[in-house]
Amino acid sequence: MSEERDLLAAEYALGLLDGAELAEARALAAADPTFRAEAARWTGQLAPMLDDVAPVTPSAHLWTAIERRLGPVAANDNADVWRRRLNLWRGATAAATALAASLALVVVTRPTPFAPPVARAAPAPMVAMLGDERRDMMLVASWDPASRRLMVVAASDLPPDPTHAHELWMIPADGKPRSLGTMPGPKMRAELPMPMAGQFREGVTLALSVEPMGGSPTGLPTGPVIASGKLERA
Amino acid sequence: MTVPYIGHRAAPAGLFFPSGRAWAITPAMESHIATLQPAGQAHELVRLLDRVAGGDRAALSALYERTSAKLFGICARLLGSDADAEDVLQDVYVTVWRKADRFDSAKASPITWLAVIARNKAIDRLRLKRVATAPIDAATNIADDSASAFDLVDRAQEQGRVTACLDELDDRQRAMIRAAFLDGASYPELAEREAVPLGTMKSWIRRGLLSLRKCLER
Repeated sequence: MSEERDLLAAEYALGLLDGAELAEARALAAADPTFRAEAARWTGQLAPMLDDVAPVTPSAHLWTAIERRLGPVAANDNADVWRRRLNLWRGATAAATALAASLALVVVTRPTPFAPPVARAAPAPMVAMLGDERRDMMLVASWDPASRRLMVVAASDLPPDPTHAHELWMIPADGKPRSLGTMPGPKMRAELPMPMAGQFREGVTLALSVEPMGGSPTGLPTGPVIASGKLERA
Repeated sequence: MTVPYIGHRAAPAGLFFPSGRAWAITPAMESHIATLQPAGQAHELVRLLDRVAGGDRAALSALYERTSAKLFGICARLLGSDADAEDVLQDVYVTVWRKADRFDSAKASPITWLAVIARNKAIDRLRLKRVATAPIDAATNIADDSASAFDLVDRAQEQGRVTACLDELDDRQRAMIRAAFLDGASYPELAEREAVPLGTMKSWIRRGLLSLRKCLER
């Protein structure tokens, strides 16, 4: 490509042109794949500058507007998508198992200074892997009954959302969610008081819901549950 | 795996977590957390784009949550108007929804790909405004310029070089090229801003672009 043409592609990519020159470049871009590729190459080379642009949160209604433009949700996805999801889940499961195992190890090996004599076996530590309905694992919770300590760690980034809180819930056998508080960040550690601690048993569900800042105003989950999982023996 | 909401009586109020008695995270745990959180955002975005390509609406929503502030920042800066930027941002995600299968992780990082789509869409909008004075068919009879993001080549090693090559330009050339790329300033606008004749501005920038090309081809 001639130097002149290359420069025109660069000027076009940069957005410098107007009037007749813009019209000419536009016509070339529509008709000539080489010109288009050249402009794309310039854009790609200059793209690192975009890293310097500060993020600005768009207004909250925008997502709804986008969803409306996407049209209705398809009734069912094709098999290919499901196969891909299955593969993702396999990967996530392996990662979750590794993390859960390491957390469990930490729980088990952590010295307990005031451990009672070995009269009866200490209750076993438990873990829960919290995922969404597609089974993408998002959080791992570990519970040490001996010290009544709960730790929750996000294994993948939680959706950043400055206008909502992520609230953690325990749902025991009676089916009534109890708030465990909002996640202060990707990790949460807490020592739970009795009698709540006594309800942490195998099979209890832990769930994460999206709530207004500061947590659910009603004491029950009000927003969508984005991840949940059951406590199991580690 | 959805949680059944059984019972409608208020549960006990949220617990207070004694922060003074935090449970220490051991280095072993940290390293596991680090390896899981990972590979991080880029990996996660690639995964999301892959799901979007398969028609997964929830993945698009997650992608939006993670990237909309960055892309909106780019649009708002270029267009200088929140209303225009919101319009364009809608277009951006609708385009991503339809064309996510064109993303190739071997060619571009996901965030660069998205950023370039946003930037190109915003530039298109600016150009439309500029051509609004020109005959209408010039404006309607055009290719979707944002599609050029799909041919994007942006290898990581090239990025470092671009930064180095931009640094080699003189300050004025660099500032003008940045103003064009990030603020959408045209030749006449830059000439007015710098109070120089249009021809002078053109030759400054063209010289800068030629040096940049030479440096990049070294």
